[in-house]
Amino acid sequence: MTNSDFFAARDIHEACTRLSQSGKEAHILAGGTDLMVAINRRRLFPHKLIYIGQSGMDGIEVKDGHLVIGAAATHTAVIQSKAVKDHAGLLVDACCSIGSKAIRNIGTIGGNICNASPAADAATALLALGAEVKLVSAHGERAIALKDFFTGPGETVLQPDELLKEIILPLTKGDSRWGWLKVGQRKADVIGIATAAVSLRLEHGTCRDVRIALGAVAPTPLLAAKASAMLEGRTADESLISEVAQAAADETSPIDDTRGSAWYRKQICGVLVKRILTAATK
Amino acid sequence: MPVLELKVNGNDCQVLVEHTTSLLEVLREKLMVLSPKMGCNTGDCGACSVILDGMLVHSCITPAMVASGKEVITLEGISASGELHPLQKAFQDNHATQCGFCTPGMIMAAKALLDENPKPTEPQIKEALSGNLCRCTGYKKIVESVMAASADNPASGS
Repeated sequence: MTNSDFFAARDIHEACTRLSQSGKEAHILAGGTDLMVAINRRRLFPHKLIYIGQSGMDGIEVKDGHLVIGAAATHTAVIQSKAVKDHAGLLVDACCSIGSKAIRNIGTIGGNICNASPAADAATALLALGAEVKLVSAHGERAIALKDFFTGPGETVLQPDELLKEIILPLTKGDSRWGWLKVGQRKADVIGIATAAVSLRLEHGTCRDVRIALGAVAPTPLLAAKASAMLEGRTADESLISEVAQAAADETSPIDDTRGSAWYRKQICGVLVKRILTAATK
Repeated sequence: MPVLELKVNGNDCQVLVEHTTSLLEVLREKLMVLSPKMGCNTGDCGACSVILDGMLVHSCITPAMVASGKEVITLEGISASGELHPLQKAFQDNHATQCGFCTPGMIMAAKALLDENPKPTEPQIKEALSGNLCRCTGYKKIVESVMAASADNPASGS
């Protein structure tokens, strides 16, 4: 396809080259489930689209001691992947709550990240899983922690000539525990009012590698670092869990919007963290 | 303007589209395939559901060019012989249609489910239809229709 408005990249190299030539005029298109909503609502008029859905960027594999998920992998592919189930069950749970079957069939994990919604379900789960993202341009690659990727609602560190290539996750080890909870007004096709994702490892009853992430309660998906640190190296009991849940809620800075009030969001995300930790540390 | 080549209900089609045109617009306005409906146009209501290369999608938020070289099945294409598909028959027998606006999307979502799982449980049916809204509040009869169609489904072995 050589048309200037729509370019279907056959591989990542083509996508990067085209992007470096087009710069800010071009939008990367994967599944289109977020992009088309913006276009249909007349919020976005992309002059050029670079389609990466058939660029081979959708692989999911265990490589060099890591789980590597191609940015163009659909949510359905992530859910059905044995490698993801074995090493990132939390991500399966989160992806199952994205949109509906019809959205998950075509929407991609990379799109969920790059759209940079504060409420992005996969992105929130990936924060709790300690994900790194690999960004690529015609000039090279760089890997950064996902927690450093988001800069605000809809905003990321991606440069105009860069695209997200893949997500890199550490493999789970030992007795890994996780939990995912989402509060919304409907079970499907809903943007979370608040979401919570927790990943940790139990070592003789002691919590290790604790990561608590929250969605829809801050300008970006939020890694609640202070709350996570409070539980690190300690044995969870009811009072500690309550303290950690409160600390997580304290780290949020939610807003009032049509989905819920700031007050409610703060309350409910503490409740979600408490529920997850209580179940996960049993 | 890009040229889109795709197969719709068994027919090869060639259409000139804008790069931002949705698959729904192509179906309804270029090809006059009118069963997929524009409800929300934001992927929330499911009235535009079609099957793209075997997978259920919301055609309103599927860029038409993404369907390039692929096959689209709409309600018009599920009964080649002109006889009602078992799902259509079940919707008729169980009075699952009120205003009818959501029905094509409901049936396509149900078909995608039965293609994958010929004998679903009621919770599985509800989950599979959870992306489709009926504003006449007729879900009970819709779910019963899918149950009935799956019971009659030759692939279900019953």
